[in-house]
Amino acid sequence: MQRRVGMKQRIKLPLQIAGFALAFLLAGQVMAASLLGEGFEKFFKEKIRFGGFVENITGLSVGQEHFQFSTSPRFVMNRFTFQPETNINFHRRVKLFISWRFVVEPRYSMETKIRRRSVAPAGSGGSLPGDFYNETKGVPWEAVLDLSPSDNLQIRLGRQFISWGETDGLRILDVINPRDNTMFAPAAPNVFTLDETRIPQWGLRMWYTVRPVSNTIFEFFANPGFDPKKKRVDDISPGNDIGDGKADGDARFGRWSAQAETRIPFGRLFANPLGPVPVVVPITARRYPDAGDNWKIGARFTHNFGALNVGLGYIWGFNPQGLDMVFKKKGGVGCLPIPGPLQGDPTRGCGLFPPGAPAPVGFVPTAVRLDLINDRTSIFAGQFNYPLGTYYGIPVKTALRGEVAFYPSKPFNISKFPGPTGLRAGPDPNYSDSIVERNNLRYSLGFDRTTFIPFLHPDDPWRAFRMSFQIFQSVILGHKDGIRNFFNAGRINKVQTALTFRVNTGYLGDTIIPDFFILYEPLGNWVINPAVSYAPPWNERIKVSLVAAIYNGTKFTGLTGFFTQKDTVFLKLRYQF
Amino acid sequence: MKSMVKSKYSTDFRFSILDFRFPISLLLLGLILLLFQPVIIQAAEVDLKPGDTIGPNNWQKIQDMVGPNFLERVKRGYTFQIKESKKFKPPREYVEATEKYSGGVRLASNGYLENYVLGLPFAKPDPNDPQAGEKLAWNFYWRWLGDNYKTGGATKTGQIIRYAIEKNGDERRSDLVTYTIFPHTRYMLDPKPVLPGYEHIDWMQLRVVGYPRDSAGVSTFGIRYTDPDKADDLYIYIPAIRRIRRGTTTQRCQTLAPSEFNLDDINSFNAKVTNFNYKFLGEKKVLTNFTEEGLPFRRKKGDYLPLDEKWEVQDVYVLEITPKDPSYCYPRKVLWIDKTTWESTWTLIWDKKGDLWKEQFAFRTPVKLPDGREVWSVATVVIVNVQNGRSTVLTAVRAHNKDYPTSLWSLATMQRMMRGGSVE
Repeated sequence: MQRRVGMKQRIKLPLQIAGFALAFLLAGQVMAASLLGEGFEKFFKEKIRFGGFVENITGLSVGQEHFQFSTSPRFVMNRFTFQPETNINFHRRVKLFISWRFVVEPRYSMETKIRRRSVAPAGSGGSLPGDFYNETKGVPWEAVLDLSPSDNLQIRLGRQFISWGETDGLRILDVINPRDNTMFAPAAPNVFTLDETRIPQWGLRMWYTVRPVSNTIFEFFANPGFDPKKKRVDDISPGNDIGDGKADGDARFGRWSAQAETRIPFGRLFANPLGPVPVVVPITARRYPDAGDNWKIGARFTHNFGALNVGLGYIWGFNPQGLDMVFKKKGGVGCLPIPGPLQGDPTRGCGLFPPGAPAPVGFVPTAVRLDLINDRTSIFAGQFNYPLGTYYGIPVKTALRGEVAFYPSKPFNISKFPGPTGLRAGPDPNYSDSIVERNNLRYSLGFDRTTFIPFLHPDDPWRAFRMSFQIFQSVILGHKDGIRNFFNAGRINKVQTALTFRVNTGYLGDTIIPDFFILYEPLGNWVINPAVSYAPPWNERIKVSLVAAIYNGTKFTGLTGFFTQKDTVFLKLRYQF
Repeated sequence: MKSMVKSKYSTDFRFSILDFRFPISLLLLGLILLLFQPVIIQAAEVDLKPGDTIGPNNWQKIQDMVGPNFLERVKRGYTFQIKESKKFKPPREYVEATEKYSGGVRLASNGYLENYVLGLPFAKPDPNDPQAGEKLAWNFYWRWLGDNYKTGGATKTGQIIRYAIEKNGDERRSDLVTYTIFPHTRYMLDPKPVLPGYEHIDWMQLRVVGYPRDSAGVSTFGIRYTDPDKADDLYIYIPAIRRIRRGTTTQRCQTLAPSEFNLDDINSFNAKVTNFNYKFLGEKKVLTNFTEEGLPFRRKKGDYLPLDEKWEVQDVYVLEITPKDPSYCYPRKVLWIDKTTWESTWTLIWDKKGDLWKEQFAFRTPVKLPDGREVWSVATVVIVNVQNGRSTVLTAVRAHNKDYPTSLWSLATMQRMMRGGSVE
């Protein structure tokens, strides 16, 4: 019965979407021929534009490690996306843009099986719901009303993306909107662009152009936090846990989860031991910002000093970035009565007691509650760009860009190494909730250059290669040795560095478009993300792309080491309209 | 390819007529003087009248009036009719500004323009002036283009419609618009003649792609400065990452794929005037079309030639352009510049070997200013890469002197870009 129901649902959803698409595409003709008259028809033809795309992405795992794991599926993605978009130009001072995104992914039986296996805690985990990746509710993806009360003042209201910064591939200042990390391959911008993985949020954004000639612009935004719980901050894809939203703390293993055989205990590092008990079980749960409490505001001022374009800004709100989350110890629970004269009442238990406090008399804790939280923070932001020309006869001819984000008192998880009682690590006695706050400075420098390499381009020697090199660094001021990330307890160094390089061009009149991206961390981790697209010369609406995301390096460290088992090849078929 | 300019003067200095003798020394002196004169094309009379049909049987009538590649197409079967020539008049304000200010304009020895305010810099170019080429180039640069314009604004769709055509006839379409403003040469819109604070900027241009969807929203914002030594500024908005990136305009030779244009091909010649050498090659009559009727014109799919448009005879100046930088992509470019509008009717480009590389022709069409007066606008432009067989056809009728706010040309506009949306 369940299978039949599932089958009905599988048929119903695509039919619903197809119906919507048909209605959308036919709407033009119907509305144009409506009884509302010629005026409306004229308005419709001149002021309303439709567009969008239909896409299928298929992913095939190609990692060598898969041969070790008999339960791992090769077929890791089969994602259908339909995204219609509408622009309505009511008036030069009033415009509306609205888009919807519908996603359907069939369920894979092999994935279901492997997700039931787990290493530790034994018996934990389960398969993802069949509709986990689906987006079918019909809520607008982006819906913005643009108002221009004056020539210099523009206001945008609605569900939108607010993107600051200058970087590609990784984010420094592009942290206003959260990201959906459950669907994408990290540090692989050729698979999904930043735009495809950002989560839109309801808000207001305002620009006031103080002086156009110098691009002196004041910008303000406010996101009141009306979004659903899972859309307030990054939807994460760590090794072992994807909250499916049905019950906090339930572990579900998604596409980017580590293989069953290699999963590590979650949260164990910050929990053991607790009090006199050498080992306790961590009970982890993701705590999202409360409704009404996850608002965010910010402001930015940009100006041109000659050729130098500079911006300074400030953001206040929850840091949405998944990698910045920390485990916060909420206290011991599930206490075990200690046999003896002081034995506690086993029928009552000891409840939750605060971190750092001893267990109530007569009890010993058997578990500790760890909440995975995003931190509410200030971010002081800065960015610049400048075109470099020719100096002393050397044609530098490169665009230089940079951005910086300063997080005062940013929380990090901390543990003591080595731990007591022979364990690898244990809680730091100086930080009862396993959190230390330190100032964190993050910055990036980027260099963009177009250059001609004729011998690599016999078709058109004047078709340029666009190259981009970036360096990212994060510096923890007042660093402590025990600082670790939450998802694999990997060490966070005082200075973390990542380098990226990207190059792309086009052949045969841009019908063949290669794009190559690489990220390298001096830890020894790297990801290569090559892509080649074919845009047929007989139809500008079609695009076919073959993309690879290949990870390597020290497992379970840094940005990408965790995904060393996740080498994947994707085929993207897109039709635009 | 051989130069199109053929010398009319023989190098053979021997001369004799039976029973009639000239002083040899005078004859020799005359011949020497003639040999060292610049080779000037004189506008010859043409044997064409409205109603004539040109085709493979009488292509000789239009030789030297059209580009060589186009002539080959005529030889191979393309036919068209001749129509009455349209004569435009420059706007009154522009003519008055020319009369008022051109007398004071000077050309420095390094080719820089001095004392230019408004109007045509050099009202009456003298073919014997050794700087005639540079003056023509500056006249072309400061021809009347309006106080601002939206390219695509007067087409049926409100956008530039561009087709990239492959050698085998496959076509891809792209739509875009551009908004251009000339802040310190304003003839009709207040404040005149300069927008305060913009004295140092010759023009600003915002370019927004509208179709296909994945390119929609890609925008560029370019600034050309009055200082010839200051490089253009360029900002690029990329919707896939919602970032504004800084571009460098120093790579002006890069192909704007999938079209066959590069940055300097826009408007036939979009480079900085002071980076090139110029030679005035004379005047001639050419075939063009100043009253294009189909916008875009009807053509066979996969081909760039108009099927129904008629062509007309116009008078042009011939200007040769060669780069000062030897590594520049175009070693030689020739413009055929209309004498009234100062617009380029034909553009011919040769490669380093002297072979014809690209050929471009541009139609015009009458449009109305907001006050109802008739002016001209670019209509359909065709560029053919003769060597790889690809061509680009774009229809780009302009709407001039619209009431756009100056803030349209700023980074705030790019930050608000939505795919497929309008910025005005």
